[in-house]
Amino acid sequence: MKSVGEYMMRVKELSFSYGKNKILKNISLEIPEGKITTILGANGCGKSTLFSLMTKNLVPGKGNIYLQKKNIGGMSLGDFACRAAIVHQYNTAADDMTVERLVAMGRTPHQKVFGGRSEEDERLVEWALSVTNLLDFCGREVGKLSGGQRQRVWIAMALAQNTKLLFLDEPTTYLDIRYQLEILELVKRLNTEFGITIVMVLHEINQAIHFSDRIIGLKDGHVVVEGAPEEVITSETLAELYGVKLGVTLIEGHKYVLTA
Amino acid sequence: MLSKWSRNECGNTDDKKLHGKKIRVGIAYIVTVILLCGLFLAAVNTGSLKVSFPELFRGLFVAYDSNVAAIYDLRFPRIIISMLAGAAVAVSGVLFQAVLKNPLADPGIIGISSGAGLAAICMTTLAPALYFFTPVAACIGGIFAFFIVYVLSWKGGLSPLRIILTGVAVDAFFTGFSSVVSSMSGGDRNGVASIVEGNIAQKTWEDVRTLLPYVAVGLVLALLSVRKCNLLALEDKTARSLGVNVNRARIGISVVAVILASISTAIVGAVSFLGLIVPHIGRLLVGSDHRKLIPFSALAGAVTFLFADTLGRTIARPYEVAAPVVMSVIGGPFFLVLLRRKK
Repeated sequence: MKSVGEYMMRVKELSFSYGKNKILKNISLEIPEGKITTILGANGCGKSTLFSLMTKNLVPGKGNIYLQKKNIGGMSLGDFACRAAIVHQYNTAADDMTVERLVAMGRTPHQKVFGGRSEEDERLVEWALSVTNLLDFCGREVGKLSGGQRQRVWIAMALAQNTKLLFLDEPTTYLDIRYQLEILELVKRLNTEFGITIVMVLHEINQAIHFSDRIIGLKDGHVVVEGAPEEVITSETLAELYGVKLGVTLIEGHKYVLTA
Repeated sequence: MLSKWSRNECGNTDDKKLHGKKIRVGIAYIVTVILLCGLFLAAVNTGSLKVSFPELFRGLFVAYDSNVAAIYDLRFPRIIISMLAGAAVAVSGVLFQAVLKNPLADPGIIGISSGAGLAAICMTTLAPALYFFTPVAACIGGIFAFFIVYVLSWKGGLSPLRIILTGVAVDAFFTGFSSVVSSMSGGDRNGVASIVEGNIAQKTWEDVRTLLPYVAVGLVLALLSVRKCNLLALEDKTARSLGVNVNRARIGISVVAVILASISTAIVGAVSFLGLIVPHIGRLLVGSDHRKLIPFSALAGAVTFLFADTLGRTIARPYEVAAPVVMSVIGGPFFLVLLRRKK
């Protein structure tokens, strides 16, 4: 077990606004190493903004974000890409792009501008394909895959980056329930088997409870809930996060939120 | 263990398909090279003077032959210029399409060529003594036109349709303005007229020497940016997450594309549709991987424009139809078909 106090990422007194519209108001939080952390919150609570800031797609108005004690503001994109991989919500690729070529693009941050693939590249691409169960599809064109397979390809591309930290922005959107579970099981496996620290944004509260070690709940740009899901998810905290009254029940010792 | 796996050992059915695709790409390249050679010989022999291949070879490399010498001085420059300009415009089209994420982008249609043409015309009209700097002026004009189109079509993102519409308007403005400058300067000044009408009939080795270095450098830069082009095909955020500075890559590739389009405009005039048709056919034949698409487009662009020029020389003899005019006549309908197929 990792000792308490080991953090992969630390957000310190972070504020961000679009014009006069304050989105994040002086928030601080930690992403523990080797854990799955899920960010929850209603639409417009600031979770996408927080995600963009943590992934260097936005620049903080105030405050800093540290990745393994280094300020990400001072890192180049390439340097950041060697330490953290991101699976964005919406992705496109040319229809005739093969799975293998696309996954190999994940090696970009580690490659020189003009150079072929190293043995290390080959090995990691192969590993990423096998972990995501895509070895049989590696010559297939991305345009001919199902939604669930395609999402696995994007995860494989991020894995090929070979980072200790993986961000996923609503990885289950656009997928039916079978593929949602398949993707979340894969994420869980990446965490338990390979020790990859995961940060994701999810909409489904029950999935967040069952697949996360830690929940961060945002409301109006503030962190209002932070901790282990079994402890922090209650009728009261949900009411605060989403502004609706939801029942919480225990089935075989597991917490379930009654969302309907 | 996994270590035996290699790039070629994909799933079985996929493996065969991949193999088939490789062969198809190879055939496409070989056929294009053969076409280029055949067309070259046909173009050499199009006109009143005719020489056979052995005569040509002997005349060029072994002994003096008056017919071959005449062909060498009169026809070779325009043939080489057609090939260079064709390659440059086609590759410029691929690059614009990669940067703007728009398969309909073409340096002629979105006003880059006419911007370059206007600058070149102003230069030859206002400061004929600085003729040597015409290509530089053309490049500046092209960059200016691209800047205008990019800024005017930006609205929180680049919509493909808005780029085309803005480009068409910018193109019309520059083309009109070029005619104004040309008319005001008498219109019969050789340099001006040749830029406006895309006349490559009177080109000399001097023009080849002007065009060649720019095109060579532009094509090499284009080949060096193939990986960036492939990365730009992903969503911007995804490319960023792979460590690519998307804006910087866009600007760099755009500059190369503008230079290739502008320099050809300075020598052969504005060419429309070539940068659209050739990459489109290239994608069908060799796929959208820029490592294959860019070299193929260079070859196929040379073939297409040389074909247009040779056809223009033969179709209404003794009169000549300019190659860019032939391109417009062939390309217009092609563009319409593409527009209808794209939703």
